[in-house]
Amino acid sequence: MKGRKLLVFLAACVCLVLVGGAATAAPAKGGVLRMAVIDEPPTLDQHVVTSDLTTMIAQHIFEGLYTFNAKYAPVPLLVKSDEVKDGGKVVVLHLRDGVKFHNGKVMDAEDVLASLNRWGKFGARGPVLFGNLEKVEATGKLDITMTFKAPFAPWKNLLAFLNGGPVIYPKDVVATAEKKPIEQYIGTGPYKFAERNPGRYIKLVRFDDYASRTEPADGYSGKREALFDEIRFIPVPDVGTRVNGVKAGDYDYAEQILGDLFDSLKADDAVVTTVNQGATQGLMFFNSKTGPLKENFKLRRALQAAMNMEAVLRTAVGPKELWKASGSFMPDSTTWYSKSGVDAFSNGSAEKAKALAKEAGYAGEKITLMASTSYKFHHDSTMVLVKQLKDAGFNIDYQIYDWATLISKRADPAQWDIFFTHHGFVPDPVLYTFMSESYPGWWTTETKRALAKEFSATMDDAARKLVWDKIQALAYEEVPVIKTGDHFTYDIYSPKLDGLSASSLIWPKFWGVGFKATK
Amino acid sequence: MIAYICRRFLSMIPSLFLASVIVFSFIHFIPGDPAQVMLGDQATPERVQQLRESMGLDRPLYVQYAKWIGGVLRGDMGQSIFFHKPVLDVIADRAETSLLIAVFSMILIIVVGVPIGILSAVRCNSRLDQLFSGASMFFASIPTFWLGLNLMLLFAVTLKWLPTSGFPSIVESGDWSNLRYLVLPCITLAAPNSALIIRLTRSSMLDVARADYVKTAWAKGLSEGSVTMRHIFRNSLISVVSALGFTFVALLAGTVVTETVFSLPGVGRLVVESLLRRDYPTIQGVILIVAFVYMLVNLLVDLSFAILDPRIRYS
Amino acid sequence: MNILAVFARRKIALFGLAVIGVMLAFAIFAPLIATMDPQEMNPVDKLTPPNGIYLFGTDNFGRDIFSRVVYGARASLLGSTGVILFSMTLGVLTGVVAGYFRRVEPWLMRLVDVLMAFPPLLLALVLVSILGRGMINVIVAVGATYLTRTTRIVYGLTLKVREEAYVEAAVSSGTRVRDIILRHLLPNMMSPIIVQATFTFAFSLLDMAALDFLGLGIPPSIPSWGNMLSEGRMYITRAPWLLTFPGMCIVLTVLAFNLAGDVLRDRLDPHFRSRIEGV
Repeated sequence: MKGRKLLVFLAACVCLVLVGGAATAAPAKGGVLRMAVIDEPPTLDQHVVTSDLTTMIAQHIFEGLYTFNAKYAPVPLLVKSDEVKDGGKVVVLHLRDGVKFHNGKVMDAEDVLASLNRWGKFGARGPVLFGNLEKVEATGKLDITMTFKAPFAPWKNLLAFLNGGPVIYPKDVVATAEKKPIEQYIGTGPYKFAERNPGRYIKLVRFDDYASRTEPADGYSGKREALFDEIRFIPVPDVGTRVNGVKAGDYDYAEQILGDLFDSLKADDAVVTTVNQGATQGLMFFNSKTGPLKENFKLRRALQAAMNMEAVLRTAVGPKELWKASGSFMPDSTTWYSKSGVDAFSNGSAEKAKALAKEAGYAGEKITLMASTSYKFHHDSTMVLVKQLKDAGFNIDYQIYDWATLISKRADPAQWDIFFTHHGFVPDPVLYTFMSESYPGWWTTETKRALAKEFSATMDDAARKLVWDKIQALAYEEVPVIKTGDHFTYDIYSPKLDGLSASSLIWPKFWGVGFKATK
Repeated sequence: MIAYICRRFLSMIPSLFLASVIVFSFIHFIPGDPAQVMLGDQATPERVQQLRESMGLDRPLYVQYAKWIGGVLRGDMGQSIFFHKPVLDVIADRAETSLLIAVFSMILIIVVGVPIGILSAVRCNSRLDQLFSGASMFFASIPTFWLGLNLMLLFAVTLKWLPTSGFPSIVESGDWSNLRYLVLPCITLAAPNSALIIRLTRSSMLDVARADYVKTAWAKGLSEGSVTMRHIFRNSLISVVSALGFTFVALLAGTVVTETVFSLPGVGRLVVESLLRRDYPTIQGVILIVAFVYMLVNLLVDLSFAILDPRIRYS
Repeated sequence: MNILAVFARRKIALFGLAVIGVMLAFAIFAPLIATMDPQEMNPVDKLTPPNGIYLFGTDNFGRDIFSRVVYGARASLLGSTGVILFSMTLGVLTGVVAGYFRRVEPWLMRLVDVLMAFPPLLLALVLVSILGRGMINVIVAVGATYLTRTTRIVYGLTLKVREEAYVEAAVSSGTRVRDIILRHLLPNMMSPIIVQATFTFAFSLLDMAALDFLGLGIPPSIPSWGNMLSEGRMYITRAPWLLTFPGMCIVLTVLAFNLAGDVLRDRLDPHFRSRIEGV
């Protein structure tokens, strides 16, 4: 009986979906999308900066060789096909033919080679790939051949990740820019850059000659169709103003809304909410170069034991739907999700912390913790954490700065013991900041180095995952960093928009999105 | 008179020079640097150093100052690090908003503040006077952003009479109806300032009313309106005009908070955002120009004294 | 002159005095008045509206707003007091020096003029950026913007008082400079200085709130009305009580000091019409 009821219910659901699907017309072409963003980006040059705001805007203009589908797997974008030879040492990329840049020129291997080389030399994440590369050359009009020193597994993920990543510029743009940020924004994307009006907006317009892929849209991959005539990214720094602006109809879409407003906005008919699935995580880096925390892993574990991340997340983020108190460094939406070592995550035990601290020989030395007030959740998280640490008997010197001051202070190991920052979504753990030896915190123990080397040399996905498990276990033992948990930012938009999915993967995208067709 | 004006201009030169030194050294005392801010959290130290070099930030401070001030003397304030364009252009982009805000707020302040001030003085200590002085004190006591937020919630979100935020350029679009975007910000700015002008007008009129020549005017049997306007108001204008002058300058660049609340592309927000981005040339440029405008307004205010009060002569 | 008698004559002024009294009591007896620890966080109770336990509700950390408002009086009043002490002491010193010693006058007043040419809020912002966030740094930054105005006023007063017959007599009779300043100049300038201080107190409270709003004010770990109001602004529709109570405290206190300033000016010194108000 129960089973039949369920069956009927399911059938009804299917009908509803079908009927609903038929009734909703496709989004209309035309119109201007007014999107309220948190700030103005310093540049749209994807090679050099890792700001999420830059990437969110720039992904409409520039494209890379690969991109991600809805499962965060890298799939071809500007590339037609690839061949992996020599046990992974040689990779040949065959480019798509007839892809036009916004200036009308057709993209070829020379453009790709110039872009890759600049990214490798001056790009934010370029050295991760190029450090393992013996040479990269154009071996045909539309062929690129990369030869690695040793088989290097993460290459495809690195080429697919746009943020600080290898987007393709025309070669003459690359030649004039070198180490300075590029100033001519010419790409191959569905929208082209039209105007930057400082303080007012960045304007993109539809690129009518866009060479779209033909596969159905899946995540960032497949068909891309520009429906808006124009997109304006308008800087609206105050979150309250962004919310009011969408409610009043002055903006169509606003990003990064305050977690605590989620429930009331979800219930509001004037706006629609959309959660960003690419988890952001709060991170506390420990100073491995100098100070009381240097190589004192037991003391670090003591600090770790004192923390209760649920309290941190509930305070700093808000409703339960927007966070997960998860110790895995890679979120559970990826295949990298791992439970190794996470028993030490979020113990929230002052007693355990005190006992460990005693064992570690901690005698109340001052521990300097820096955080920035430029990000509300940095400050809110650290407020709770500092309280927990103090309650566990640690002598915390809590210092707050604006972001610019903090990033310059943290470069000097003498000035701090712990600092707070956040980490955006990355598709491959090799891009995780603590994997880099030059990232402040400077985690460079022998064990870590050996594992990191093994990790990048392993080709097989399953085997790589096992190495990553070991690295994560080590990260809970040597504690170079403490993660507060995953949290999900969310955006709001006007019900007039159509084509947006219930959640975005990393950054919201506006191809395939338009205003609802009016009848 | 002309000689006086020339002298004043000449004396501005050392002041501006001093101002440039102060601004430059203050700005470079701030920890952090623009290359790091621009490249973000994950930049390697080498990458930051490369960018610093390409920006010329690795050179000694006095060299950087000499280069900057040399440019300023030739009318070139340098390149904005953040916007990659000349500082003067960046400021020009923001000038429209700031000038319009300042002018319209000033009109509101004068239209509301001065007549109520006169009325309060004439009806000194009446119910009306008490009402006005109570209300004006109240408005002068509210933190600007609280007032602005409440106005936005009421008039833009609930009543939907006016837009919440932003300001599309009138110069570019030729659309004067865009002025509606400035209504709430101007009210937010004018409220506390007109309150201060009401009080100043009232008190300086009462002050002048006690003077001997006013008593003589009454004694001569002139009508109340004539005494109030011709004698008392005219003579109390000096302090009101000088206060208005300074209010105007403050409105040109000191409206950061209102600009942030209403997301307006004005000069005030430009300075604060440039400060957070460590965009040195832009901050220096704006502050120097504002200082220059301040000195100019100061001169104009002084000259207006000669018109308002024939006893004052500049030579 | 009996200041209390002056206030007693105006009912509205008594209201001002009462407000100041209450706020002072908050600041001094905070631990006795507050019902909870202002820093205690109860994440489970975050954003609770005012009720029997949390008189003024809780904020986004689940902290008791009533207790924070009470403790906030400390930081806020201390901040403004600091601004007065800083700007008045230094301002009177530089003003008298500039007015009395003709040799340093051109240099000093030129510097003051140049500093006055910078918009006050921007000057304060730059100073806090250099010094870093901190109670004392904020006091110095805001104080610096009032310092120049005080110097101007005191300088003008010094020039005026110096020409009075009794001061000239003292100078010509060979009285020591220190005594002239202490015995003749300062006592004759006290009334306008007190009036200026009262207004400075009121306005600096608003200035500090503006700095808090821009994220460069008193560190948020110290509860102050300004940073409560500015942190609460994001919750204006969701939890308006985060703004109402600290906001009212600021408005009432500023109002009270403005009233006090008005009364003092009318009674203490009818001839002194300062330019302070015009700013």
